[in-house]
Amino acid sequence: MAAGSLIASVKEEARKNYIAVFEQDWPSWLAGIFIALLALMIFLWDAPWGIAGGYKNWGNWVLYSLGIFKDKPFAPWLHPMSLSNFGIFVGAFFSAMMSRQFKIRQAPPLEYAKGIVGGILMGIGAAFAGGCNVGGFFTATGMLSLGGIAMMVGLGGGAWIGLKYLLWELEHLPAKPLSKKDGSGPFLGINWDRVQPYIGTGVVVAVVAAFYAYATIDKTVLGGLLFFGFLIGLVMHRARFCFVRAFRCPFMTGEAEMVKVVAMSLIIYGMGSAIIKWAWIKDPMMGVYHPFFLGSLVGGLIFGVGMILAGGCASSTLWRIGEGHLKLVMTMIGFALSNALTARAIEALNLSDRLGKGIFMPEVFTWEVTIPLFIIFFVMWAFIAIWNEASEKFVIF
Amino acid sequence: MDINTIKADQTLDTRGLACPMPLLKTKKTLKGMQSSQILEVLGDDPGSKNDIPGWSGKGGNEFLGMTDTDQGYTRYFIKKG
Repeated sequence: MAAGSLIASVKEEARKNYIAVFEQDWPSWLAGIFIALLALMIFLWDAPWGIAGGYKNWGNWVLYSLGIFKDKPFAPWLHPMSLSNFGIFVGAFFSAMMSRQFKIRQAPPLEYAKGIVGGILMGIGAAFAGGCNVGGFFTATGMLSLGGIAMMVGLGGGAWIGLKYLLWELEHLPAKPLSKKDGSGPFLGINWDRVQPYIGTGVVVAVVAAFYAYATIDKTVLGGLLFFGFLIGLVMHRARFCFVRAFRCPFMTGEAEMVKVVAMSLIIYGMGSAIIKWAWIKDPMMGVYHPFFLGSLVGGLIFGVGMILAGGCASSTLWRIGEGHLKLVMTMIGFALSNALTARAIEALNLSDRLGKGIFMPEVFTWEVTIPLFIIFFVMWAFIAIWNEASEKFVIF
Repeated sequence: MDINTIKADQTLDTRGLACPMPLLKTKKTLKGMQSSQILEVLGDDPGSKNDIPGWSGKGGNEFLGMTDTDQGYTRYFIKKG
């Protein structure tokens, strides 16, 4: 084979793979596996994965800078969840750049208002539940904390209420579509479609450099969290992975797809953490503090309404910001401030005891029963969703 | 069928809206239409590129196709079943 045609065929192969990895969406089941594995790695690397704690750190900073809070919070670049959150945003931004999908996306005024209100509700809900859809539900369940199941029930109820509101809104508040100026002319005279992948490449280099920079100041753990967050953001954006869908779609379109994916992901996550905890590789009580059942249930309910209004949960808010959605920037601001304030209020009013306490499933059911029970529970959830897809029994319109 | 020759009976503009509003509005608008009428949806949320074809192919409706415009939004065509 001539050298010229070899180079041409390598180029062609590279082009095809680039399209497969960065332009075509990944199937959500693949993302479900990746996210469970990444969450387990974060657990082994440091501590169970969460998101709301990072938002709270940001909210604390704003409130501290305004002089409302007196005690100085952790610097955001030294706070574990703040760093993994930032990683998720950067990972999604990288992915959006590589797929040339980044664009500043504006929304009508009503959508911005829903973004803020949704964020505020999620912040309150997460403060009550001891975590968001990740820390309070996904990770809580994966860590075999019973509060995760209570929050799951709350999220379902909240999604139902939120969807009822959206239907009411469609009838009563007809939104005017955003009048678009025609032609997205080149900004600053640059053809951004061509430039985006180069910016993306620069972002990867910066993230890897940041990891080594953290290592040199003896903060390797923090650098790793940034990197794991980056991978999660990449996976979530590539698959458009959205926890909200698992709770919303059964009521909206009847689709069972995301219920199946989240159920499978939780089985992998839960069984992985069972191995780690039963073998005492990590303390079994790690990540078991969610207020069962009142805090988790009520928090889930409030959070569920908020995530429907915002159109994103704690995790998808981050990756959608990475794609350029301004509405979700509003959501993030509302979430951070309301979460910091509500957490402070719960502390000041001494409510935590009344909300419930962390319950470890194997302590109640024993290890031998917990494992099959856990698997059966999530398989049942998936089967009910599949049955609902055919019968549309729970679809509300 | 050439997508550019499809004549829609109704057009729904979801530009500027993000998940789940485009799909919710599409479902609602289709409900008010008659069988075999065609709905054109305009949208610019990347999520819609999976959601609208995936959902509208089910439940008796027929997804006719989609096309990107130069202005950065996508046109989707659905035939009510």
